[in-house]
Amino acid sequence: MQPASYFIQPVKTYFIAFLVIGLLLLILLVGKLYNQAQTVQTTLLEKTRQQAQEEINEKLESTIIELATHMLEVAEWDEVRQQIDDPTYYYFWHDDRLKGSKFFQSNHMQIEIYDHTKWPLMPPVTETNTESKTNLPLFIENTDTTVIFSEKGQPYLHLFEPVFARDSQTLLGYIGMSVNLLPYFLTNNRFQYVDQDSIYFTGSGEIELSELPSHIHFSPIKNEVSEALWQLINDFIFQVMILLIVSIIVITITFQILFTHPMQRLSSYLQQIKKKPKDPHSEPSETFFLKEFEELKHSLHDYHRDLQSTQQALNTQYKIVWEQARRDALTNIHNRRAFDETWNELVASYAYNPVSISFILFDCDFFKALNDTYGHEVGDDVIRISAKTIQNTLPEEFPVFRIGGDEFAVIIKKHPLHESFNVAKTCLKALKSYNFSGIGIKEKLSFSVGISHLEPHLSKNLRNDLLNLPRQADIAMYKAKQSLQNKIQCYKSELDNESLSLVSNKIINTIVDAIHTGKNINMHFQAIQSVIDGSIYYESLVRIQNEEELIYPKDIFLVVERRRLETEIDTQIIQKILSAFTNKIIPPNTGVSINVSSKTLLQPNFIELFQPFAPYLNDYKIVIEIVENTLIDHMEYAQTILNHLRQQGFLIALDDFGSGYSSIRYLAHMPVDIIKFDMSMTQALAADQKTRNIICSTAKMVRDSGYDLVLEGVETHEMLKKAKQAGATHIQGYLLSKPQAIPSTVSNIVPSVISTI
Amino acid sequence: MQKPHFFYLQNSSFYIVTILFCLVLSSAQAKTITQTIPPFNLIAEAHYSKGQTDKPAILILHGFLTTNQFHTVTSISEVLQSEGFTTLAPTLTLNISQRRSLVKCNSLHTHTLERDIIEIDHWVKWLQAQGHAKIVLIGHSSGSLELLEYLIQPSSQAVAATIFTSLFYLNGPELGIIPSEVNSARMLLKNRINTPTHYHFLFCNNQYYATPESFLSYLKADRNYVLSSLKQLKIPSYTIMGGADKRYQKVGKEWLTELKQTPTNLIIIEGANHFFSKEYEFDLQDTIIQILNQYAP
Repeated sequence: MQPASYFIQPVKTYFIAFLVIGLLLLILLVGKLYNQAQTVQTTLLEKTRQQAQEEINEKLESTIIELATHMLEVAEWDEVRQQIDDPTYYYFWHDDRLKGSKFFQSNHMQIEIYDHTKWPLMPPVTETNTESKTNLPLFIENTDTTVIFSEKGQPYLHLFEPVFARDSQTLLGYIGMSVNLLPYFLTNNRFQYVDQDSIYFTGSGEIELSELPSHIHFSPIKNEVSEALWQLINDFIFQVMILLIVSIIVITITFQILFTHPMQRLSSYLQQIKKKPKDPHSEPSETFFLKEFEELKHSLHDYHRDLQSTQQALNTQYKIVWEQARRDALTNIHNRRAFDETWNELVASYAYNPVSISFILFDCDFFKALNDTYGHEVGDDVIRISAKTIQNTLPEEFPVFRIGGDEFAVIIKKHPLHESFNVAKTCLKALKSYNFSGIGIKEKLSFSVGISHLEPHLSKNLRNDLLNLPRQADIAMYKAKQSLQNKIQCYKSELDNESLSLVSNKIINTIVDAIHTGKNINMHFQAIQSVIDGSIYYESLVRIQNEEELIYPKDIFLVVERRRLETEIDTQIIQKILSAFTNKIIPPNTGVSINVSSKTLLQPNFIELFQPFAPYLNDYKIVIEIVENTLIDHMEYAQTILNHLRQQGFLIALDDFGSGYSSIRYLAHMPVDIIKFDMSMTQALAADQKTRNIICSTAKMVRDSGYDLVLEGVETHEMLKKAKQAGATHIQGYLLSKPQAIPSTVSNIVPSVISTI
Repeated sequence: MQKPHFFYLQNSSFYIVTILFCLVLSSAQAKTITQTIPPFNLIAEAHYSKGQTDKPAILILHGFLTTNQFHTVTSISEVLQSEGFTTLAPTLTLNISQRRSLVKCNSLHTHTLERDIIEIDHWVKWLQAQGHAKIVLIGHSSGSLELLEYLIQPSSQAVAATIFTSLFYLNGPELGIIPSEVNSARMLLKNRINTPTHYHFLFCNNQYYATPESFLSYLKADRNYVLSSLKQLKIPSYTIMGGADKRYQKVGKEWLTELKQTPTNLIIIEGANHFFSKEYEFDLQDTIIQILNQYAP
């Protein structure tokens, strides 16, 4: 299961979340417990209050009953009757005897005897400091017990009890008693549920006894068990909270020490490694408590150290490989790949860093002839010496690239044209002054130098102008080759159309436009027929439609070569042929031969150009024709590229064999399947015997080497006969068909090709 | 003088059973008699139990400040009732109508010996009015002394004999009477000032709260007066004394000798205290019954 991105958090976040959740749960639990305890406490308090209220009511009632009983006892007292009978010594009795008797208790404020008419036996004598309103009345208006509140709010009970004669209902008089209720109540009662000290009365004036309960106030006695329990709970909760806090602190510190700090430290260590992976990083100095972290720390350090070692080794290897890949094996200077990378890098960065750029091409004049004359070993020496001379002459910051067989390129940045020119001049001078006779060359070698230059401030289209520099240098070099004196030529726009005087500007524009846009390119196909089984495939030949007429390859390639548009036109041709396949213009069970230039062959995307043809390989014969110069000049690179295509099913044909300075010694190792003899060789079959023998021998060598042999320019049956005798496996020429927009079918092909074998 | 054989009490268990049986039978006839003492308009009460008419009626008088519910009185009454004697146990009012409780030392005392005599006389006459031709008076402690005072005065002819128990006297320095208080009381009375005062009297020490008139009236009965009065009696008298009465600590054992020298028949129950408590209660009862049996047919 993959966690969502917001779940990916630092360990501290999870730890805090864990702590917070745990703490909340515990607080919730403790809160619940506290709440329950509060409920129990409240219930107990309510119960206690109820019990206290009941106790107060009960005690109040019992007190009243007790007082009433006491009043009865007083009424029954003999001495009361004695005073009613004879109150002569009432005051003496009242003050001396009554107040000393058991009937006059401490909180009895006043006891008086009234006669049966409810008047006192003797007028009461009260102390001056007593409150008059609480004194017993002079006349009993109501014998019911009443409550009278003093000025201070103290309740006094006034009780009256009739005194009857013994054994009769004869009323003798009344006993009246005033009781200070609160102290009496408190003195004569013991409370279980009421806090005795909290009892007090409030009120004023006179009230009936029945109203008394509403004037009493009290607090329930503290329930010791409940209080103790509550205290225990509070202590418990307090202890739990303390324990929680201590636990959190301990857990946090422990977690911090054991986990968070090591993780953070290791994470920081990893971040350091990540930021500067190539720098050495010493192992964290801390020692962690957990063995796993210690091992992880050592492992990380060791892993990083080993990784660095490995990386260093790889870098070294890579550098070697990189250097090897970018070094020309022959000259030990930068090769074509290095040039391409440098150039592409320059192109990519030029928009941000536009500087003056000079592109210089060096080329050895007549190198092919030299090669053929002195052999490739000498040719190689010439190339090696040339490269070394140029490299040694140039300042260090300007590397030399071998971009072709005898072609060297130099890119000079941040220097004006005249300085580049001087550099080229110095190099050319060094080349000229080199004594090539040391390697057996008797002739004086000459070199041509083409220079193109770009000043950013003069350019309207930087990128385009930059991309044109190689082509422009090539044009300039072409110009230099044509000159015996000015072997260094700087490109100028006039050179584009120079030597194209026979081609009208309109045609040139049409050609250039067609090359860039693909419009008006009209492919023609000329049959090539097997003399063995009669099978046919077609060589594709480019034509450009110019209004009503066609422009033929001679003019087209004049412009292409002058403007170095070989790759561009090859690309358009390949697209057209692919379109022909798509549109089923190519007859089934035939094939197509496509000509490509050496410049296109050297393009990095050469293989990719042909990948769209892969689906047709099963049903069609697809041949890639290249000229021998390209192969010979770039034998190693061409072998790699072409063999790759051959493995896919493409066939490679070496075109125009014999038109140049083909080297027989390469024949056995060429990455080709078909050798095409130039028309001149076919026509030479009709020449003298000696020439015919050479051609036939060459053809035999080709055949013996396992190649198919195509003879071009077969225009007559006689030539067909001779071509067959020479060993041709395929023939091509007007005898079979002229190049046509619609490929000629088998029936249109001369049937005698096979029959005459 | 040699005492009769029956004076020596033994094996009282028989009497206990008999008394309890008779108590149940006689209780139905017991009643409280209420009488207004005419001169004072006080209501006096007495416990009356009618017995056999051929036996003398017995008036039993309680001691100082007590009532007819005092245990010595009730025990005598009950045993006599069981023996078929009519008993009348009045409670002296002590100036309190229908008095039913003991009077404390610090209660207001306005009663006098003379008033008590009037009440005794009233009850004797009431007995006579009830048809009791022969009456025997029994007193306890100061009740004996008051009966003695009643008998030396012209009294009812129906009184055939009297029995004094725990007979002592009321005045004398050995009893705690303070002469200055006596003089002061007399002075007040002389000056017609009868306000109550605290006196040293009998067991009340300084707590006896009485009018001078009341206080002085009882001081009349001093040691010689009592002995002299005994000698003046015209009816047989029996005096039963506890051998272990603590009063002897004040009056001395000579009191018994002095009593013996009077005409009264002195009977001493050895070991008994002033109230003849505990087992001596029965000895007292037996003694009284044996005496009374002399007056029964």
